[in-house]
Amino acid sequence: MPEKGKIDSKQAVLLMISMILPTAILTIPAVTVKTARQDAWLSVMVATLAGLLIARLVVSLSLRFPGQTLFEFSEEILGKALGKMVGFLYIWLFFLYIGSGVVREFGVFLVTAVMPATPIIVFLIVVTAVAGYAVRNGLEVLCRFNQLFIPVTGLLVIVFLLSTLDMKLDRLLPVFDAGLAPIVKSAVTPTMWLGEIVTLAMIIPYLSKPKEAHRVAVLSILITGFFLTASIMEALLIFGPNLTGHWIFPTFNATRVVSIANFLERLEFIVIMAWVLGGIVKVGVFYYAVVLGSAQCLGLRDYRPLVLPVGVILVALSILLHGENIVEVLHYIPHVEVPFLLIVFEVGIPLLLLIVALVRGKGGKSN
Amino acid sequence: MAFFSRRRKKTGPADAKPNTRDSGQGSKKQIAQSLLLSPDLDENLRFLKQSFADCSDVVFREFLFAQREQIKLALVYVDGLTNKSQLSDQVMRALSLEIPAATDNTVITKANALHYVKMRGLCIHQVKETENLQEAVEAILSGDSILLVDGHATAVINGSRGWEARSIEESQTQGVVRGPRESFVETLRTNTSLVRRKIKNKDLKIESLTLGEVTRTDIAVAYIKGIVNEDLVTEVKQRLTRIKIDGILESGYIEELIRDNPLSMFPTVGHTDRPDRVAANLLEGRVAIFVDGTPMVLTVPHFFVEAIQTPEDYYEQALFTSFVRLLRIGSLLIALTLPSLYVAIISFHQEMLPTPLLLSIAAQREAVPFPVFVEALLMEIAFEIIREAGIRLPRQVGQAISIVAALIVGQAAVQAGLVAGATIIVVALTAMASFVVYYSGSLAFRLLRFPLMFLAASFGLFGLIAGLIVIVVHMTSLRSFGVPYLAPIGPLVPGDLKDSIVRAPWWAMIKRPHLVGQNNPVREASGMRPKPPQTTAQKGGDADAGRRQN
Repeated sequence: MPEKGKIDSKQAVLLMISMILPTAILTIPAVTVKTARQDAWLSVMVATLAGLLIARLVVSLSLRFPGQTLFEFSEEILGKALGKMVGFLYIWLFFLYIGSGVVREFGVFLVTAVMPATPIIVFLIVVTAVAGYAVRNGLEVLCRFNQLFIPVTGLLVIVFLLSTLDMKLDRLLPVFDAGLAPIVKSAVTPTMWLGEIVTLAMIIPYLSKPKEAHRVAVLSILITGFFLTASIMEALLIFGPNLTGHWIFPTFNATRVVSIANFLERLEFIVIMAWVLGGIVKVGVFYYAVVLGSAQCLGLRDYRPLVLPVGVILVALSILLHGENIVEVLHYIPHVEVPFLLIVFEVGIPLLLLIVALVRGKGGKSN
Repeated sequence: MAFFSRRRKKTGPADAKPNTRDSGQGSKKQIAQSLLLSPDLDENLRFLKQSFADCSDVVFREFLFAQREQIKLALVYVDGLTNKSQLSDQVMRALSLEIPAATDNTVITKANALHYVKMRGLCIHQVKETENLQEAVEAILSGDSILLVDGHATAVINGSRGWEARSIEESQTQGVVRGPRESFVETLRTNTSLVRRKIKNKDLKIESLTLGEVTRTDIAVAYIKGIVNEDLVTEVKQRLTRIKIDGILESGYIEELIRDNPLSMFPTVGHTDRPDRVAANLLEGRVAIFVDGTPMVLTVPHFFVEAIQTPEDYYEQALFTSFVRLLRIGSLLIALTLPSLYVAIISFHQEMLPTPLLLSIAAQREAVPFPVFVEALLMEIAFEIIREAGIRLPRQVGQAISIVAALIVGQAAVQAGLVAGATIIVVALTAMASFVVYYSGSLAFRLLRFPLMFLAASFGLFGLIAGLIVIVVHMTSLRSFGVPYLAPIGPLVPGDLKDSIVRAPWWAMIKRPHLVGQNNPVREASGMRPKPPQTTAQKGGDADAGRRQN
């Protein structure tokens, strides 16, 4: 087995939260508010429900094959050849794709918002190297690291509370202005984000109590969904739907508004910190999934030799695959990425695997 | 070699005795080990004199047993390592003058001399017999004296160690305002006795072994049976016996030889010169390693949080201690990140500073010819030089040097326009902060400041954060004797947070730290929180007075 560490359920929940939340907070508000307007917070709630379903699906599937990751049980369900093919699809089109996407977002964000004169490749390499170092040290270290830094994400709550002074409730009105359709439609993007919980299938075998996996998944989705809803409401309550739709990073701008006694201001660095840390955890988790999955597909005993080559691939893909600038990236997410990733990898293949497993009677009893 | 073989032939049948001590240590050693004493005193002395040829500090003293039959005795010891007055009073005087009085009815002959020497003559507490020459030699070298009796192939080892040693003084490295003052000294026995005096319990085990092929340094492994995890003790002993080295002069040698992560900057083996700290560590289920010749005692496993703990924390009020601990954490962060934060903000993120402050710093820096990174780096290096000089320089010139250093680094550098005043403040604050935690705990941060400054100068805050992430990932990957170094924070052990960044009052610290003390988790009875007596609380002094009268 390439991974020997064990993590407990709390660590897994925290890992999932910082994998999904910080990147979502930054990107999702702008995307959803464009279509759902002031009802965007409702679509995130819809997305949370959908995310719960996906989590249920993935965990049920995973628990049928205790001790096995996504890559191992797909081989067991579909047979060696097909199973490996599914594995490679996941590696290249899901984990590497999203991983490199986050790396790219990272670079774009830092270049746009913080250091415009620095070539983007510098950030891409630094981010990948840092995540790679964490991955090399194993899942346990990744989780502990995340556990240490999660209070920074927690600081977002304080920022949110401080920004309540500038909020006006009537900016959320009218509710259901355009009916249910736009709400559901714009729920697709956040669902994709929350659906990244699929990655849990790589981690469940290393939980010290795998039986708690359902609870882990549900808690992760609920907490993430709650904070996501809160962040969208924050942006909407401060700026209203028109302005929020214009901003590239509404949450970021919302924290800029905070100014208390002319002293407690410029809190956006907390958002940047949370985002940088969460982004690195996210890259780390996907990076880890790629490396561990490849090792399992190739039958290696140790995944560490793969860390460097996969890192190079990540950086290369982040340059090749993704949009040139922030506008392009944000356009790309709802129109191309989402339907594809959501339908195929977060729902399609797991559902298919579960059905085939049920039909062929593979795996133990699901709880 | 020829000499050895001759002796072996002479000792003859005695040689066939199985020698179980230290067997299997290599053939050369086995020959030396199996050398046995001869019944002939002169033979033994000749051998010892040959072994100690050119060792002017070894004393051979021959004298006669106070008996009608002439029985020769010889005392061998190293001058300066033994208590001479004890030897002359309790060995020589007793044997050559006083013994006849006690044994008037018995005839002491050559044959039973040894028995009488040992049982009636010697007035020394620790006495041991050996037939092994090597053991006798080692006894002499470690400060015991040996007594040879003519006609007996046995040496009596007298525990008569006594040498000039530093007396127990106040701890130089970890001073306290409140708490015991004593600290360890260079003598192993004194050190173990200091701990034994604090833990008067038969379960305090102190196992000894000898390391160093040349120095033959005594090592003691101490732990409290019943609290410590037995696997830990086995692991420690295993790692110690692995060591094959010519000499061990300080516990630092051992520390580097038994660490889990040999190349990490962070100390995963703790050391202290305070008996109370060692005792507290033992009580929490840790293992202490004493090394002869140094006051520094190693403790394992060692956590990162121990860097911000001092013995005084446990004697002073809990609330105040918690405040001080938070202060120390803040200081650690300042020591690690303040210079790089300064560099990053001044070079890239000027907008993060309030405008008046930014203007004032900009005005100061107007005349400075260097980029802020170079400026800060220069000052940091200057400070490191001063700090190193402060440790090395002879005490007499200390004052002069510190005045000069203060002038150069402070006033003059600013006036000359070499650095901005703000940089001086940053560097000084960093320097002071790094002294708040205990010395070895801050070494890693002292070093890591420089790469962080470099990262901050290249990539701004992002570089700083990336660097910090790498440091934290590294720290979380460290283990000290199998226990995560960053515990109880990462992995989070909620129960142990009571004694990490804050300290709970003693009545609330019911359990030992989980990761070292889980073998025997309960430290104290629960429900000891002091409460005022329920009935007479209101009356207070009156009630007391009434009781006294009755």
